[in-house]
Amino acid sequence: MSEITTHPASYRDPAGFVFTTGGVHYRQVNQSYSAQYDTLMRSGLYDHLTKEALLIPHTEVPDIVHAEAPNTRPIKVPNVSQTPAPYKTLLPRQLSRLSYAAEWCPEQLRDAALLTLTIQQLAMDHGMTLKDATPFNIQFDNGKPLFIDTLSFDKYDPAKPWIAYRQFCESFLFPLYIHRYAQIGTHKISAAWPDGIPASATARLLPFSSRLNAGAWLHVFLQNQVGSRKRATAEQHIQFSKAKLTSITEHLQSLINRSTPRPQRPSAWSNYYSKTIPGKTYLEKKQQLFRQYLQAIEFSDALDLGCNDGLFSKILAETGAPVIAVDSDWPSISNLYRSNTPGIHPLCIDLANPTPASGFANAERAAFTERAASDLVIALALVHHLALGNNIPLNLIAGYFSQLTKRRLIIEFIPLSDEKAGELIARKEVPAPTYDNRQFEMAFGESFRIDKRDPITGTDRLLYLMTKR
Amino acid sequence: MTTLFLYIDPGSGSYLVQVIIAAVLGGAFWIKKFWRRIRSIFTRGKKEP
Repeated sequence: MSEITTHPASYRDPAGFVFTTGGVHYRQVNQSYSAQYDTLMRSGLYDHLTKEALLIPHTEVPDIVHAEAPNTRPIKVPNVSQTPAPYKTLLPRQLSRLSYAAEWCPEQLRDAALLTLTIQQLAMDHGMTLKDATPFNIQFDNGKPLFIDTLSFDKYDPAKPWIAYRQFCESFLFPLYIHRYAQIGTHKISAAWPDGIPASATARLLPFSSRLNAGAWLHVFLQNQVGSRKRATAEQHIQFSKAKLTSITEHLQSLINRSTPRPQRPSAWSNYYSKTIPGKTYLEKKQQLFRQYLQAIEFSDALDLGCNDGLFSKILAETGAPVIAVDSDWPSISNLYRSNTPGIHPLCIDLANPTPASGFANAERAAFTERAASDLVIALALVHHLALGNNIPLNLIAGYFSQLTKRRLIIEFIPLSDEKAGELIARKEVPAPTYDNRQFEMAFGESFRIDKRDPITGTDRLLYLMTKR
Repeated sequence: MTTLFLYIDPGSGSYLVQVIIAAVLGGAFWIKKFWRRIRSIFTRGKKEP
């Protein structure tokens, strides 16, 4: 019998919990949530949401946690044996890749926000409401946000305002407002404030001009003013209506739709391939070699490190394998996400500082490195940034890449003689003495076998196909 | 009947702010409607865009 482990992030909601056994994730619905669960399933809300691919579908299975005496089944988290009696056990459709708002571009956060509001409106039409509104309820699946918390629904009392309004503002609306006014990526805001940035902090970060914006004034500045006063007792007697809540969710929807204007100034990295690289032949030759390498190997998933606008991610996706495409430059990730290419999951990741394990006891959300391991890793025009820009020794880069790939690595080496590499050390006094293709091959040779090595015509750059030892 | 503890805190003032926002949005709706009616007096005969 395999061990049962409760998910380390599944402790907040008393309605149930997620557990894993035999590598499969299940969700227990507790007895206390039976009425809400039945409403979700019988009101037609579940069917509506799953039909439109807004909510993760599940099947009901027999109880697993309490099926056998605790002694016969090792239980890793001690309180599992003391869990409330199950009402149902659900087997949700399994997701292969998880990502978090701390890794999403602003458009991904925007779409997750719009999904939350759409679900809230549909829920209200079926006599239910969302009792929480956090990006952790959402995962990206086939390029689209999908609501994964089946137990977030509660019975709707039209006389009450939305219990999750403040959480929605802090987790979605405020990061998007800061993005809109300051042109910074929302992933950094979500990383710093995983439970949402408070109205007080947002009000201080927004420029004066935002006070002239009715939406910002109502949801940020007014909320900050009202929230700072102690009026909790008076709130018990507030009378509300469905029409009022509908007008608020529609207002939020229109604000969020306008929250991600296209970046006015291109970032240093967008259009890197289309504009800044001189010579079309280089790119054509690189693509040609890349395609040849792909034909020589087999892989079921891929990870593109430093994907830029995703040119090579798109070539990888043509093979049908799912691709995680990462770059530290969020406007590039925004462009790639907007291109809506099937099979590509774009994420804002700085490889010199990838997402750490986070949440309580560092256990709720796994580190990027743990989630991203793939059959094939590609790192094109990247190593010189890590080695020369971030001063990371080549052997450490090789060690990290061997952690990320399960088998193959396609990697480009750009020597110091190259203009782009030269720019990186132009203001550094001593050029790195340990940076040339011999040193590169020695460093990577420790963890990888070099299968192919080809110069890219017209440049001093080299492309390699390697296999993990 | 058992009472479940609220698992998220709606936040101090968050209900009140929704009441105010709903009132402002409702007011804006009536002003818009009123404004359209006034405008229609002067643009009588022309079709609404």
